[in-house]
Amino acid sequence: MAEAPERHGWKWLLCAPALVVLVTAASGPLLIVVAYSFLTPGNMGGVVWEFTLEAWFRVFFRRDIFDPESITFNQAHLTVYWRSVWLSLQTTFICAVLGFPTAWFIATRPPSSRTLWLFLITIPFWTNLLIRTFAIQEVIRNNGTINTVLLQMGVINQPIQMMYTDFAILLGMAYVFMPLMVLPLYAAMDKLDFRLVEAGYDLYASRVQVLWHVILPLVKPGFIAGSILVFIPAIGAYVTPRVLGGGRTMMLGNLIALQFGQGRNWPLGAALAMLMLIIVVGALVFYLRWANREEARNV
Amino acid sequence: MTAQTKPDSAEIEIRDLSKVFGQGAAAFRALSEINLQIRTGEFFTLLGPSGCGKTTLLRVIAGFEQPSTGSLRINGKEVAGLGPNARPVNTVFQNYALFPHMTVAQNIGFGLKMQGKPRAEVEATTAEMLSLVKMEAMAERRPSEISGGQQQRVALARALAPRPRVLLLDEPLSALDLKLRKEMQSELKRLQTETGITFIFVTHDQEEALTMSDRIAVMSAGKILQLGSPHEIYHAPSERFVADFIGDTNFLDMAVKAVNGTVAEVTLPGGKPGTARLPEGFLPVLGETVTTVIRPEQVQMVDAGQGDMDAVVDNAVFFGTDTNVHLRLDDGQGFVLRRQNSAETIEPDAGTRMGLRLSPGALRVLKG
Amino acid sequence: MFNRNFSVRRLPGFGAIAIFTFVILYLPIVILVVFSFNSGLSQARWEGFSLQWYEAAFNNRQVRDVSIRSLWLALVASGLATVLATLAALGTTRVSRFPGRTMIYALINQPLMVPEIVTGIALLIFVAAIKVQTGYTGMGYLIAAHTAFCIPFAYLPIRARLETMDITLESAAADLYASHWQAFRYITLPLLVPGIVAGFMLGFVISLDTVVITEFVKSAGQDTLPTYMLGQLRRTVTPEMNAIATLFLALSLCIVTAFFLITRKRGA
Repeated sequence: MAEAPERHGWKWLLCAPALVVLVTAASGPLLIVVAYSFLTPGNMGGVVWEFTLEAWFRVFFRRDIFDPESITFNQAHLTVYWRSVWLSLQTTFICAVLGFPTAWFIATRPPSSRTLWLFLITIPFWTNLLIRTFAIQEVIRNNGTINTVLLQMGVINQPIQMMYTDFAILLGMAYVFMPLMVLPLYAAMDKLDFRLVEAGYDLYASRVQVLWHVILPLVKPGFIAGSILVFIPAIGAYVTPRVLGGGRTMMLGNLIALQFGQGRNWPLGAALAMLMLIIVVGALVFYLRWANREEARNV
Repeated sequence: MTAQTKPDSAEIEIRDLSKVFGQGAAAFRALSEINLQIRTGEFFTLLGPSGCGKTTLLRVIAGFEQPSTGSLRINGKEVAGLGPNARPVNTVFQNYALFPHMTVAQNIGFGLKMQGKPRAEVEATTAEMLSLVKMEAMAERRPSEISGGQQQRVALARALAPRPRVLLLDEPLSALDLKLRKEMQSELKRLQTETGITFIFVTHDQEEALTMSDRIAVMSAGKILQLGSPHEIYHAPSERFVADFIGDTNFLDMAVKAVNGTVAEVTLPGGKPGTARLPEGFLPVLGETVTTVIRPEQVQMVDAGQGDMDAVVDNAVFFGTDTNVHLRLDDGQGFVLRRQNSAETIEPDAGTRMGLRLSPGALRVLKG
Repeated sequence: MFNRNFSVRRLPGFGAIAIFTFVILYLPIVILVVFSFNSGLSQARWEGFSLQWYEAAFNNRQVRDVSIRSLWLALVASGLATVLATLAALGTTRVSRFPGRTMIYALINQPLMVPEIVTGIALLIFVAAIKVQTGYTGMGYLIAAHTAFCIPFAYLPIRARLETMDITLESAAADLYASHWQAFRYITLPLLVPGIVAGFMLGFVISLDTVVITEFVKSAGQDTLPTYMLGQLRRTVTPEMNAIATLFLALSLCIVTAFFLITRKRGA
């Protein structure tokens, strides 16, 4: 008799058009970036097709202009890396501290109003990041809302300089990435079996003990997912530090962009971009490993 | 409706059919060596526990799965290899699978529309089907706007509308509550008689199978264990699995002394002689122990020593119409007896010794 | 101590922190919107209601140009992305495992995982090379880049919709004599429509918001609204920017609300 036909053998071909676009306009160019990071910079941007590790060398080190043999760490670069990682971690922490109670608050509303609260947290998520950054800028700039109000009230005599500081970037990032923490936390809490919380209280736990020993471990997956979702775009941030940090308080994203502007060292820019990608992929791999292990243990 | 005139002609003929899922070490044999003839116009039931292969067999007949080996003929025509849209069979799905974006009427007319029937015919048949299942008033509703029982009727009407030769029903009543299920059982029977279409019904509910079917095939582990009328299946189970799966049963081990035609002479527990009927084509070895089966209601309580066996009461469980008396025979085997209750009957006390009289011909030997 | 309102769902102080968070999230946006109607230049001193900044924005030729460019770019890119994502979702859902499936998932989701700045400079390098080779400097680059970036966002709701769809419906259609194409045309596609609409809306909003990729891919004179705003933010901004931002916000809000309603209804 006839062999049962493989009904869906051809179906993956439906993906082909999307894959063509994705490969040409997203994934393919990434490979070019890898290649560029091993080439020699051209005079006015661009590259000369000569293999060199100089770009990767310059990611971390610098040579003395007059004595090429004298090698030192590139302090300017290291400062930027440190600021990127440190600000991203702080952003994640702030989002977690404020996001957890917020998600809990939403998850414990009656179903009718819960949708509304959820909607309220979703709106910023889908509204333009640039506009939200602009809104923060208008609040904290020297003649912005806070300074104007404080000056009028006589609390201060001259405006507090908040723009173009680490604080401004931190505030801006925590502000724009907050929904990314609240949403996965809410998803985890929405699935939370409140009978377990009841069981905790029934077994004489105090509120703090229930929070620490029952609720937190149960919503941990949401915490980790939220932290990754905040940390990754924070490390890759470009718009927020550009607007709120100005030219001096740079993060990794701005350092990369700089190499394609006035600095015009494309290979160095490519190598820095790879460095950022490595950090992001590292964080993702860490997360996926953790999630898989956790899932395996709970099944 | 299509009146089938040839009684006893084979509507569906299945030969040496098997179905294997997966390959190599992970291969799973869902159906093995199925041989089956389903007669035109009969109500045929595939009965068995979940995972026995009954749904797979139904899906093979419908065309959703293709058999690995063997042949499958519908009305004399080989259909193995044909898709479900090329077979004159329709299915009533377990969850009904009503199209949620179409009205009741559109659902019912879908099959005819796909067959390219003219609009007038589609509408006429839809109306006819709506009245057949008494759903005229709901024609313009969506499936989500009608009750579970009504959805069931629509699913039936939709499958009947293209006038298939065979209607396949995959546990169609399992989602309904008890009362509605009873109602739908007689409704199904009525539709089958009215339309004369062959019904193949899949269920794991033995009572449902016994009430509705002309014939039942009991399945286990991908095989058909026994095929027969509800009466045969209940009163003359040929295998332990069949006896156990259908109704309550006592299994008793005893030695065979002699074989006399279709009857074996046996030594009953306690030592008295007795007779047990043999299944077709089975000869026990003389002197060996065989397993016999007897239904709890085919035994009467008598005074100790007066019956075929003696036993001591362990406990009695009251069910309303009946009481199940759990006993222990002298050789240690457990036994359950079912007694119909009246207002006067008294439960026997634990420890009471009594005799048991077996109804003549009720004791049967099982194959293996 | 008697607490008549003991609830296992209550944790002291959490409500206050939550309200604080919501206030922080919305206050800057509210201030931005309110002062777009200010008759003065200040972001803190109310000098009276006025629509002059909206008038200025409407009369600003450049603002009008970049807005129109942003809208049609978003329309074209999300439209293309929706078609491609629908095909891809049909190709990757409910199929037996095939070699390379993980690879396809990785490719589709890649724009979600790689930081925009990295994608941005990658495209900058790539586009620069093509420009040198072909001399073409049209909108094609932006359309391709935005389409690729929108695909994963369009793909998510369409795939989710497909996965929750009852597969027996298609079996039932086949049983009722529908061919593969008829089953798709009459059953799968109509049931998929909410997912496709949701995917299109997400893609539209994403394209409208994308600033980094546009910044690095655009040629001269191809500014979109976000890149125009980014450029303006370097200067001293007037409330005209508030007015533009408010209009932009209103548009996003409409789309997000519509999206929310569509996906809510699906659950019912």
